[in-house]
Amino acid sequence: MLALPAAAVAVARADHDMAMSENHHGQSEVSIGLSVEAAEFEDTSYVGSYQGLAPALAWMRGRFGAGATISVYRLIKNGLTIYGAGDAMLSGHAMLVSTEAVHGGVALHVMVPTGSELDGLGMGHTMVMPSAWARWRSAPWTVAASAGYGRALISLGGAPGAHDHGPMPLVDPMNLQELTWSAGADLDVGHGVQLGGRTLGGVPLGTGHTRVIGGGRLAWGTPRVSTGLELQVGLAGDPFTVRGVVDTALRF
Amino acid sequence: MRFVLLGLLVAGCTNAAVPTPTQAKCPDPDPGTLTWDGFGQKFMADFCTACHDSQLNHAQRNGAPLYHDYDTLLGVMEIPDHIDQYAGSGPAAHNTLMPPSRCPSTPGGSLDRACPEPTDQQRTDLSVWLACERNRPHTF
Repeated sequence: MLALPAAAVAVARADHDMAMSENHHGQSEVSIGLSVEAAEFEDTSYVGSYQGLAPALAWMRGRFGAGATISVYRLIKNGLTIYGAGDAMLSGHAMLVSTEAVHGGVALHVMVPTGSELDGLGMGHTMVMPSAWARWRSAPWTVAASAGYGRALISLGGAPGAHDHGPMPLVDPMNLQELTWSAGADLDVGHGVQLGGRTLGGVPLGTGHTRVIGGGRLAWGTPRVSTGLELQVGLAGDPFTVRGVVDTALRF
Repeated sequence: MRFVLLGLLVAGCTNAAVPTPTQAKCPDPDPGTLTWDGFGQKFMADFCTACHDSQLNHAQRNGAPLYHDYDTLLGVMEIPDHIDQYAGSGPAAHNTLMPPSRCPSTPGGSLDRACPEPTDQQRTDLSVWLACERNRPHTF
């Protein structure tokens, strides 16, 4: 089976895809990853672009795994350039089903508000995001999907007089409470290369913005190293107009 | 457990100021001493419209959100609570999130100077004026 990017385990892709890699073995495995992204956005309040760099660290053993990642950004919004960290993401997951063809499990992501909410770099609140994921493999195809729930650890009543600034934060918008989903498929094309597509998004519970993202991905992997290039477009909810992501991971 | 402790530690280090309603009240009856012509327009011109001006396109706004334009009374009265929460002062909060540290010398220009800061009294007057103005009759 083609190894999938370990960066996925550590959620280096900053788009709230709760899918997980099934690249588990009996022994402990540590991976380091780096994700580079660039995007342009235009919503009701802001026009601009951002570039991000996200190192990731992940650990796996048997059915269990954990990871951490944080992005640093250069954000340009309405002519103002800002540099800063985004929200850090911690994750843990457990594989509940593991057969030759099917893998599935549950995960818990916790997003820590290290990014500035006022600058558009962070949610401003700790987010907790439990999810379930599954992956089905029938060579040369791999199909994956996930579903989750995201919730800010604050009162959702909203401040008196608060008004809508559009999707926030600018670098990776989420709703204070939402259902998340993703679905995708990859095709082995030989020599360790995969071509695939996926879609993902979030549906607010209460006020917010429904977002839908679509993307195509080219990935290359070996048991030790994997690298992917993904081009995404915002289909609904103005998360961005277009975004490119390059990620690579090295496993030990 | 280590991740949880790390998360709590980081969360505890991110206590940035947050926009807070000042809960300023307009005296009853409204004395009519703080008005757009006598106070609000000059306050906005002195501290806000170098970026928050309807004549500035997105690239000239130095980060100011679109449609947050304070060059007219109508623009201010679209979002009085927002202005109160970022720049006003009152019984419940003293908000100094705006103006920011750097401002343009000319509207839409580069951030080439320190922003002029309203006095505490001006911030208090801002919140009281907004509280009064929202109850006054307008033709827009």
